[in-house]
Amino acid sequence: MLAGDWLTIILSTIIIAYLFQTLWSHEHAAKVQIRIGNKIHAAYDLNQQRDIIVPGPIGDAMIHIRQGKVRFAKSPCHNQYCVHQGWLTHSGQVAICLPNQISLELIGAQKPYDSLNY
Amino acid sequence: MQIQTNIDDHRIAKLAAFAIALHMIEAVVPSPLPGVKPGIANIVTLYVLLQYDFATAAWVSILRVFASSLLLGQFMSPAFALSLSGALLSLSMLWAAQHLPRRYFSAITLSILAAFAHIAGQLIVVRLWLIPHASVAYLIPIFAVAALFFGFINGLITAKLLYNKTQLPEPDQPAPPLP
Amino acid sequence: MRKWPLRLAVIAVIAIGIFSFRTLKQEPLYHTQSYVFGTLVDISIYGETEDRAKLLADHVLQDFQALHNQLHAWKPVSKDQASELGTLNIAFASGRKPITISPQLTAILTDAAALSLQSQGLFNPAIGHLISTWGFQRDEFSAVNIDDAAIKALVKIKPGMSDIVIQHNMVYSTNPNVKLDLGGYAKGYALDMAAGYLRQQQVKNALINIGGNIIAIGQHGDKPWRVGIQHPRKPAAIATLALLDGWAIGTSGDYQRYFMLDSKRYCHIIDPRSGYPVQHTQAVTVLIPPQRNAGVLSDVASKPIFIAAAEDKASTAARLGIQYFMVIDQQSNISVSKALAQRLDWLDPEVNNNSHVKLVTLP
Repeated sequence: MLAGDWLTIILSTIIIAYLFQTLWSHEHAAKVQIRIGNKIHAAYDLNQQRDIIVPGPIGDAMIHIRQGKVRFAKSPCHNQYCVHQGWLTHSGQVAICLPNQISLELIGAQKPYDSLNY
Repeated sequence: MQIQTNIDDHRIAKLAAFAIALHMIEAVVPSPLPGVKPGIANIVTLYVLLQYDFATAAWVSILRVFASSLLLGQFMSPAFALSLSGALLSLSMLWAAQHLPRRYFSAITLSILAAFAHIAGQLIVVRLWLIPHASVAYLIPIFAVAALFFGFINGLITAKLLYNKTQLPEPDQPAPPLP
Repeated sequence: MRKWPLRLAVIAVIAIGIFSFRTLKQEPLYHTQSYVFGTLVDISIYGETEDRAKLLADHVLQDFQALHNQLHAWKPVSKDQASELGTLNIAFASGRKPITISPQLTAILTDAAALSLQSQGLFNPAIGHLISTWGFQRDEFSAVNIDDAAIKALVKIKPGMSDIVIQHNMVYSTNPNVKLDLGGYAKGYALDMAAGYLRQQQVKNALINIGGNIIAIGQHGDKPWRVGIQHPRKPAAIATLALLDGWAIGTSGDYQRYFMLDSKRYCHIIDPRSGYPVQHTQAVTVLIPPQRNAGVLSDVASKPIFIAAAEDKASTAARLGIQYFMVIDQQSNISVSKALAQRLDWLDPEVNNNSHVKLVTLP
């Protein structure tokens, strides 16, 4: 390994880091971000089949992740609005359980909007 | 009619055959990611460039691309286009980089540079023809890492071969007389 | 070969350095989500350091919590102390004796009264008893047995903002059945309050979302803030639009707070004239251009339009000075004012086929 080789390797590494930063600034794998209260609890890849239990102030909620989609399956809340939201499939979609302070949000390559009016 | 061949032709043919063999071996081994291959046949190209000259290396490389694709039944297919574009850009890079001072830059640098040029050529074909979609950009960093990694390894192997080569006689020349 | 570990270490250090540099250069967007005001609050601040943004957002959230405690229609601040509004409601119920209220509440009531008048009583924060009868003055609500007689009685009494007399900071009501519920006003008021505070703190770019009502300051970096409008029946956005500096947007929907009874939907928006929840409309969205009380209008103005009958919706909007509005009726037909239609980007594929969208021109 000669001096110039080191230079090549270092420059290549810098270029690669730059490429990752510019081209991968958006997460291209679809994920669901689960928040409890004002904290991010976890983020899961949507490309799997998985059941997750999320603990909230009034009880545990059951979240189902299936290939490319996610939903509230069971919730300890009274009105079950969150369960009725059904499957979330596109980036930016949100399901919220207000009484239990749990929110599911799909994060993808591009979010079509910064905030949702409802 | 007989085509007159000289020793250079023989040499090119032998080396090209070797490169083709390496390419075929690699074609059989599955790769974890489509398009990401160690490219061991490029070792031959680089070795030839450093041992002989650019023209010979170019011949070996192009012959390898055409012959391999014919043998694999991929002639004129997208795989052939990718192989050819990679080879052409890679050769262009080597043509420019071969003048880098050998005191500071070994086969490793040339191999890495050639590898980057190779993936660049392939990504251009992919973007313009095969997958004309902006999301191809997501592949670039992955391929770049592979180029650096395999470029480094191939360059190291080539350097080692050249180092050992200086200890051994030319394959198609008679052994030097015993002292 | 001996030199390899050192050289490898050098590469490792450089690589770590590069990736650390990468994390430092993250986009300067601070985003926090909180459960305050009995609902989901979303604050985005762009262009400030994380520490400063957090400080500002925390201050805003604290203000919200204080306002929430002050104006809560039914929850007391603590065991012995009702909210300021709660205390006022108790005073109203017990007779005409005036009590003192804070200047802030005075201003709120005066403003609410003016808006109620402007909407010809469709926006009526004085019908707290009616809302309570329908069970919506609880954190969790379910189907109630509909007491038609009680409802009719409450409607007959006609509690309204005009029953409230304000002199300086002293208030009393001529109608003991007035019970204030500022649910349709408080979120908008909080938006204006937060936006005012952030602007005063020299924040150039922010987006505040309180329970779906949104107000914008500046832009998201080099492009405007983009907001989605919830589809009334799907967990997705039906359209998006750019929310420019100072603009506010609000939606009233029958999907936000409701219960089902015998396959019929009863939502929390009650028509003061009939005493019954509105059932002909799914959602109304209003977009408010920059003005002093853009937030309040984004909250208040959607209700009268929601309540008004289909043929009166456009005139109701005009009366309130609302130029940008959208109505989705119970059959999912969409009517959009021309001014708003120009700004919307439809996301829903059904709408893109224009099967259910109608353009309304204002009178």
